[in-house]
Amino acid sequence: MFENVIDGIFSAVFLAAILRVTTPILLPSLGALISEKAGVLNIGLEGMMLSSAFTGVVVSAYSQDWFGAEVGTSVGPWLGLLLGVCVSLLLSFVLALFHLDLKGDLFLSGIALNIFGSSATVAIMFELTGDRGNTSTLASLQMPFIQLPEFINDIPLLGGFVFGVFDNQSVMTWLAFIAVFVVAFFLYRMPIGMHLRAVGENPEAAASVGINVKRIRYMALLISGFFAGLGGIHMSMGYLQLFQRDMTNGRGFIALVTPSLGGGTPIGTMVASSIFGFFDALGIRMGSLEIPSQLPQSIPYFATVLALVIYALQRRISQRVSEMRTASGAGFDAQFWQAIQRISILHMLLMMFAVIGVVTSGSILAAPNGFGGAEAALPAGLAIGAASIALIIMGLPFVSDIFRIQKRWRESAAVTVVSLGAYLSIFLSLFVELPIALGIGLVASAAVWFVIGGRALVGGK
Amino acid sequence: MTNQRKRQAAASDSAAAVPFLRKHMLMIVGMVAGAVATLFITQTMFGGSVDKMTGTASWQNILLVNGLVGVCILLFVVELRRGAIRVLLTVIVALLLGFLVTFIFNLDEASRFERGEFRVQVISEAEPVDAAEDVDLRYNRARGGEFNKPNVVEPVSEVAWTFAGRSGDVVSLLAYAKNRRSPVDMLVELRDATGLALASATSASEVQVDETFDDLVSSKDAVIEGYTLPADAVYTLYARPEDISAATTYSEALNQSRLAFEALLLGPIERVNRWGVWIQDAITLILLGLSFAIVFRAQQFSLGAEGQLYFGALVSGIIALNSPNVPSVILIPFIILAASTAGFVYGLIPGALKAYLGANELVSTLMLNVIATRFFEMVLNFQLKPPTAGYVASEKFTPNAVLPVIVDKTQVTIAVFILVVVVFLAWLLIRRTPLGYEIRIIGSNLRFADYGGVNSRRTIMLVMAISGIVAGLAGMHLANGIHRQLILNISFALAFEGVVVALLARLNVLVVPFTGLLYAYLRAGAQFMERDANVSFEVVRMIQAIIILLITAEALVSFFQARQKRADIDEAGHALTQAEDSDV
Repeated sequence: MFENVIDGIFSAVFLAAILRVTTPILLPSLGALISEKAGVLNIGLEGMMLSSAFTGVVVSAYSQDWFGAEVGTSVGPWLGLLLGVCVSLLLSFVLALFHLDLKGDLFLSGIALNIFGSSATVAIMFELTGDRGNTSTLASLQMPFIQLPEFINDIPLLGGFVFGVFDNQSVMTWLAFIAVFVVAFFLYRMPIGMHLRAVGENPEAAASVGINVKRIRYMALLISGFFAGLGGIHMSMGYLQLFQRDMTNGRGFIALVTPSLGGGTPIGTMVASSIFGFFDALGIRMGSLEIPSQLPQSIPYFATVLALVIYALQRRISQRVSEMRTASGAGFDAQFWQAIQRISILHMLLMMFAVIGVVTSGSILAAPNGFGGAEAALPAGLAIGAASIALIIMGLPFVSDIFRIQKRWRESAAVTVVSLGAYLSIFLSLFVELPIALGIGLVASAAVWFVIGGRALVGGK
Repeated sequence: MTNQRKRQAAASDSAAAVPFLRKHMLMIVGMVAGAVATLFITQTMFGGSVDKMTGTASWQNILLVNGLVGVCILLFVVELRRGAIRVLLTVIVALLLGFLVTFIFNLDEASRFERGEFRVQVISEAEPVDAAEDVDLRYNRARGGEFNKPNVVEPVSEVAWTFAGRSGDVVSLLAYAKNRRSPVDMLVELRDATGLALASATSASEVQVDETFDDLVSSKDAVIEGYTLPADAVYTLYARPEDISAATTYSEALNQSRLAFEALLLGPIERVNRWGVWIQDAITLILLGLSFAIVFRAQQFSLGAEGQLYFGALVSGIIALNSPNVPSVILIPFIILAASTAGFVYGLIPGALKAYLGANELVSTLMLNVIATRFFEMVLNFQLKPPTAGYVASEKFTPNAVLPVIVDKTQVTIAVFILVVVVFLAWLLIRRTPLGYEIRIIGSNLRFADYGGVNSRRTIMLVMAISGIVAGLAGMHLANGIHRQLILNISFALAFEGVVVALLARLNVLVVPFTGLLYAYLRAGAQFMERDANVSFEVVRMIQAIIILLITAEALVSFFQARQKRADIDEAGHALTQAEDSDV
């Protein structure tokens, strides 16, 4: 059973699925990134996505009536895209108006837009179809899927894999990943992008050199609405072929975190979104296991909380290191501290798995019936819980304190190697015998530790 | 006008002399408003008859709750003063916009006159013709169908049925709705073989409906009475729904919207059971509103109430299911305690993450909400659901675990009294304790609080956990007071509505009860609107979004205030010159 999942994960189909589910996170994330860079984080992404998704579906369905079946089928999706994005832009304009001109609270106005998007779509859907769940009675259309030329499949070695991943992806997926580079160009290579970042960094300073802060922020919010609109269109006209009540399911909120996890850069945002896409796709795939579907479904949300924590900790550590750099001046050993910082990230990632372990054991203990009955599940749950708690207790002292890693690096090394080794060997034991897996796991994790930063510690002070 | 202004000026100038009077003014206004509301609600509920009231079971408790509603209004007026007018105006504006939306949604209401089952008939006293060719109709035999049936690929929009007639036959052509349930408004035409219209009719007269033809249902049916056929031929009876005029469209939409808003605005106090829906909803909303008001007070935008609610409900539900024999005097307080603890702990997590790690509380609480919901679902689905149950829900709680009901035939329970205590404690916390002072200082200026020696980390963590207590109690109320079992979606996305309640109350815990009642009233009304007038419940959530937008837009107020001030200054200047004139 597990083998199926593991096999599935390392396949072109799974990678293709990741791209597909990443798209509706990536597009609003780009919107969130731009709005955050301008210092006006767009909380209303979710509502904008919903309204554009709904508009797209309705317009594409009715365009077949308006233009006849033939023309409607080819024009419909694009008209839906256009009008959907327009609605999303309109909502972001309302947000900008209420925040920038009417001095409303950005946060609460955003929540209002989310409520509006969620309720207006359902209300209008009810009027149009008499159904308040989804629009399955409307014959809505999908955005075109892009077929790769066949010869790629014939390229030796990687051709088949690449073909499997990229063939038959929605045009929106391509658009999303291309948009990453457009946004990067916009932010870092265009004057207006620089103005935008300046406004976000320090509005007063930007205003003092003659930048129109309000106009830039209007623009940023509109751009973020544009991307949210595209994301919504992908949800209802690419990912699925209908609109469901509240179908974005928190993606607009996840998109608020990804830019900060990605270090505030478009590429980083893309990577962070892909991580969420990975967890999403994993959750879907793990649905084939006989465990309650709620557990894999909540993985992305756990991951967000933990990622938030890691991000916050990491930011603090970076701050401390840079303070030290300023304090110690020329004698500062940058490489050494960078190595320590990398090790601290490793500690945090390991902690993430341990926390997920605690949660899993909590779930098993709370609902043993879902895991094959009390007798089979309870010992397993207790074992996972005990192991995870032990790993957390071992790792906790090192998580946020880089000086402790420096002073007691042997302990830190032992903790890293043991916990990473444990995870690796559990994974490897699916393929080889347990003792061999244990051996490989420990050796591999020691090597990882050494490469990441251990050599600086061993050779250094 | 000038007098009032002078009084205000005097009040602001000499702070000592007049506030006494002004305070009493507010009290009097508040008391009158509260008393009027109490009387109005009670009067509407019982149709104005004292006998009916005293005949109703537990009417004293109904009066008590209505009295509490009055007290909430009093608090609202006294606490918000002029802000109260703004809150009311916002709600009224939002309601008007909602009315507009309902009106637009109902523009197709008139189209029901184009739908429905119908019958047509050719009535004649002459002998039926034995025509050789196929005809659709024969004299005095009705034939029917349904116009524009919904969800049909090719709906019928018109019919043209042939019949054979002789020269000199006197015929009457009828087209009518099949029964009173069918709303269709008919048009009928008589056409000759070439398709030329010989006669047509739209609405039947009252004489025709009441006396001449038994089959007709209403004046919307169409009759061509007593037409003498000119020749032996095959004629066609053509019938379709009558065209709808713009005036009909608008008047129907207006009418329907009016019905809908009547249900929205008066529905909840028409009957005792509906009143119960309002009050029990209000209790949950007030608890949630308090939870948000407390945490927003410290400028922490935590939206974790939903997750805390789920945990509170889960814990109290599990206790209720596992203790069928414990007397309720012991069990209920224990459940309350356990639910508060669950909420506290689940609020502590994002609090600690925010305070000690700087993790954005908005995102973390939203994520924790989903996690709590999924966890709740999992435990319910795999652990608490009886194996034989057809749908996902726990068993019904035993009576000892259910909050005792104080008004028969409703689910208005002792939660009312719990709520009064909670509001009082929340007020005590915010206004009368050192912790509350710290919360308020952090809310107004975090740096200043740090500078002034407030342990802001601890306070931030605590305020989020304390707000969790109240949200946990809301979960307990839903589980043990309203549903009396654990069900999926137990919160019905109430948490976000709590945000509106807190905001409308300007984060003032003493005003939250009023805004909670107001908002629950709209929600309950929306249910009856959906039931009575077929307008989607979601319209009220749209109204809610508009309320948030309007209430947070500070400049909207200052815009009006600025105009007001200008007017004041003009008037004052005018008055001054007048005074100078008179002095001279």
